[in-house]
Amino acid sequence: MLSGAKHLRSRLRLFAYRLRVTQMKNMHTLKLLSAFLKVNIQMAVAYRADTVVNILLNLMWLGWELLTLSIIFSNTETIGGWGFGELIALLGVFRLVNTLMIALIWPNTEKFNQSIRDGSMDYTILQPVNSMFLVTFSRITVWRIWDLVLAIVLIVIGINISGDFVTPLHILTFILLALSGVIIIYSLWIVLIALTFWFTRFDNNVTILQALLDAGRYPSTVYPVWLRIIITFLVPIAVATTVPLQALRGELDATRIVMFLTIGVASFVLASRVWKAGLKRYSGASS
Amino acid sequence: MFLIFKRLWQVNWAEQWQYRANLVMYLLYWLVSPIIYLAVWTSIATSKGDVNGFTANDFVTYYMILLIVDQMTSNIIIHIFGYKIQDGSLSGELIKPIHPMLTNTLVNDIAFKTLNLMWLVPIWLALAFVFKPDFSSVTLGGILFALPAIVLGYFINFLLSGAITSLAFWTTRVFSIHEFYYALILVFAGQFVPLKLMPELVQTIARFLPFQLFMYLPIQMIQGKLSTNEIMQGYFTGMIWLVVALTLFTFTWRRGVRRFSAVGA
Repeated sequence: MLSGAKHLRSRLRLFAYRLRVTQMKNMHTLKLLSAFLKVNIQMAVAYRADTVVNILLNLMWLGWELLTLSIIFSNTETIGGWGFGELIALLGVFRLVNTLMIALIWPNTEKFNQSIRDGSMDYTILQPVNSMFLVTFSRITVWRIWDLVLAIVLIVIGINISGDFVTPLHILTFILLALSGVIIIYSLWIVLIALTFWFTRFDNNVTILQALLDAGRYPSTVYPVWLRIIITFLVPIAVATTVPLQALRGELDATRIVMFLTIGVASFVLASRVWKAGLKRYSGASS
Repeated sequence: MFLIFKRLWQVNWAEQWQYRANLVMYLLYWLVSPIIYLAVWTSIATSKGDVNGFTANDFVTYYMILLIVDQMTSNIIIHIFGYKIQDGSLSGELIKPIHPMLTNTLVNDIAFKTLNLMWLVPIWLALAFVFKPDFSSVTLGGILFALPAIVLGYFINFLLSGAITSLAFWTTRVFSIHEFYYALILVFAGQFVPLKLMPELVQTIARFLPFQLFMYLPIQMIQGKLSTNEIMQGYFTGMIWLVVALTLFTFTWRRGVRRFSAVGA
């Protein structure tokens, strides 16, 4: 009896210890993330004028995007079954994904490819932190964060214009699906750059992602079937843009929502597997 | 002079040929936007019958021709030359008794273009098979009218890009300035949509700018959609802009090189 209680107590202590370790690890990760942010903010502040110019250019492109939408809708009322407000909202969602690409994925790809070429990847692997995490977050284009705010404003305004009836449940599924869509694209990116471990001369690893991104500006229902298949299954841009908005408008049934969420989780698991397998293949630049 | 160009061509062709695999990726990247616009506008035209007189087939042929014309009139000088000014490797070229921009860079750009067009042929045929454009309105006369416009458009674009690239002598932010120039082309050249479907104000401004020679005018000439009057007006504006672009380029280039030597000394 007594030994049983003792056993339970030691189990509990072990559990508490493990919990503390994971907490410390999480704290550690958060601290690292904030350190990365700090360094990148300092860089952005050092090149102040560049940051201002970039924000102005970004506003210019927003103006152009709104002009193209107004031209489209001065000639038609719907496109692929969607109205003006919905396309504004879609532009917002597209800009969310685009920001992820520009703020995180492109700069880190550049750094990653460089580190494979010159062998500095060795140091990244030696750190006592998850290497996938390091490769993902070491560079952040900080000023792009304001783009996220802009994207959310566009989504809210767009939904208001469209007059679609939105319930809190719709909003929740929208957020979940947008997250899982972003995770799917992120996972694809991890797989693409991990391929560099097998094929060292693979500098073009993300071009295909970059090229098809623009297709996310319009509802995938507009495109011919072959293009729709590509951007839904092969390079799933539409899963992160069209699909969440369909959920917001209440067009998706529960089965499909669950399916997309499952694909999100599965693709992340798969990507980290591929990453680990790739790391095992990695042998440094000199050998 | 001819010998110089011949030799430059051999060197630059060999240089571009090394990157042939990369070029395919570049082409795929560049193809996507026109195909998206093609899909968007044909879907609208199909559902409405026509958009302001443009049928679905008009849009298909417009963007199919655009793929070729855009490839011919665009250039990559800012990428070839911008860095040379910034990292100083231009010095070696300045010693040579020929103009670095108007000989070496020009030939390099044309070699790049030729290789791209070679790659474009199979891709274009595949796209034609998918979208089935009906080119019955295209006449030999239209193409002959368009060719000088394409050449004119290419040189205006080349000189204006050259002038902007020369700004690298003064500022490191030349790529941002070039991005702005690129946006102007997008708005006024008719890449997103044939200019006739743009707002009235944009069309009026476009008539006084050279950008419609880069895409819209040659495409519409090939499609046989322009009146003689419009063609003449386009050529006239183009000639004026050729002079303007040449002046702008020589001015920034001369000033810039002088500055460059001053820094290097």
